[in-house]
Amino acid sequence: MDFIFEGFFEAYKLLVSGNAETYSAILATVKVSSGSIACSLLLGIPLGFCLGYFDFSGKKTLRTIVDTLMALPTVFIGLLVYAFITRRGPLGNFGMLFTLPGIGIGQTILALPIVIGLSATAVESMDQKLRITIMSMGANRRQLFLTSLWECRHGILAGAIAAYGRVMTEVGISMMVGGNIKWHTRTITTAIALETNKGQFGMGVALGLVLLAIAFCVNLSVSFLRRRY
Amino acid sequence: MHLPIYEIRSLKHSYGGQPVLSIEHLTVKQAHIVGLIGPNGSGKSTLLRLLGLIEKPSQGEIIFNGRRVEPFSDEARFLITLLPQEPFLMKRSVFSNVSYGLKLRGNGRDVVDKANRALSLVGLDSKDFARRPWYALSGGEAQRVALAARLALNPKVLLLDEPTASVDAASAQLIKEVTLRARRELGTTLIVASHDWQWLYEICDEILHLFKGRIFGRGRETIIFGPWQKLGTGTWGKILSDKQQLPVPPPPNQEAAAVIHVLSVSEDRSTIAGEGIILSGTVSRLSLERKTGQLFATILVGDLPFKVGLDIQQGKEHTLFPGRTIFVRYRLDQVKWI
Repeated sequence: MDFIFEGFFEAYKLLVSGNAETYSAILATVKVSSGSIACSLLLGIPLGFCLGYFDFSGKKTLRTIVDTLMALPTVFIGLLVYAFITRRGPLGNFGMLFTLPGIGIGQTILALPIVIGLSATAVESMDQKLRITIMSMGANRRQLFLTSLWECRHGILAGAIAAYGRVMTEVGISMMVGGNIKWHTRTITTAIALETNKGQFGMGVALGLVLLAIAFCVNLSVSFLRRRY
Repeated sequence: MHLPIYEIRSLKHSYGGQPVLSIEHLTVKQAHIVGLIGPNGSGKSTLLRLLGLIEKPSQGEIIFNGRRVEPFSDEARFLITLLPQEPFLMKRSVFSNVSYGLKLRGNGRDVVDKANRALSLVGLDSKDFARRPWYALSGGEAQRVALAARLALNPKVLLLDEPTASVDAASAQLIKEVTLRARRELGTTLIVASHDWQWLYEICDEILHLFKGRIFGRGRETIIFGPWQKLGTGTWGKILSDKQQLPVPPPPNQEAAAVIHVLSVSEDRSTIAGEGIILSGTVSRLSLERKTGQLFATILVGDLPFKVGLDIQQGKEHTLFPGRTIFVRYRLDQVKWI
């Protein structure tokens, strides 16, 4: 048990002393996960709204596909993205292998079905009377879309948090596409895996605590936003 | 001569292939109050949604102020508003709900004044209510906020779907007064669907009876719904709760609805004039019909409400008052089936 307590003590020292290696992994994680969640929200919310709001042929099939993709294994996404951005792959010329943008692409693919699926669920559970109310007040199509979106904001926000949690804590994509390069593509999760293998529990625990702290801050902000709006 | 505010031509509407509304032609005059009466499922709410440009009719056209309109039409969307049966507020404060439509219209400067005025019209103090969230309201308050949101828009047409169905008596009275005030002060055309027949007969310029998606009458008909049974005498009819028999001609089917026109009433069975079926009932309500200046009486025969119009002189002669026993007469050959 002692090594666990020592790990916590070491973690405290690393965080308070501003250890550069630790903070490099934190910064890389925050940068890449924020970028990928922003992309997936930008694409996923309108797509999820359309999937939940409109009736069209093949909707059920599409919904099943999206729901299935919500459980995509991260190593499989890592493998696919690797295949595409490796030098021999179709996007090899962009030189994205072992870079943060490369990890970002993979994480966007990971988060996108979650955002689409949970946004669609939020929109589907929207009261039909909302549409009547908005239209009866004189809204045009754009205003109807924006107001409906705003009205199911809590459900969409819950989807965004779930997606962010998945992106922050994944290892497969970061490891395969990023390569876990110190000072460059090492993220919190890949660093924890590596340091634990090396027997360096302190850094692993420190990074784990940071991960928890980030999750706590995100949830705190979201809870504040929900109360405020 | 003023154009009618609405004209409906060859309108048909269906859900999932099931026809729910069919109106060949209908006009509504500007600043009139039109009442829609009919049982549940008769098409009242559907008609209001079509007139409110919430849905597009499956066939036919709706002309508003001389122009063909459909959902999102710029010619009409700021002039028509619908208050649905169940109050629905968006997930925001009372003020934001009331000011939403005003903001859509770009009324930036006097939004606060207009919203506060609308709230006070429906009897809600803006100081107490404006900041309240949507979930901190009772059913009656929510309905009044929803109405305030419509009144704030000074609409040309206000469509009301059972506006008093889910509120207490005081809220219902207030809603009735406010909607009439909108008509009086702003010349708003009101189209109201309600089961409160008495109220509709009091306020409306025209009453439309709907049944199974069709308009079948514009007056004071009494409608009795099936099922029908063969009575002991071999004729068809119903046995009422007070054991009286209500005979009708043979119905087209057991569930058909009979339209009965009451020909005369009398407080004495022996003095009732003319031939026909005579049944005894009790006056349950009396009111003054706005358009004709006539008395409008609801007479409960068994549990069935018979509607009768009388001029004031007749009312005095019969000394009508609620609770009075009275006899009604109708003729079998004048009963219509729908």
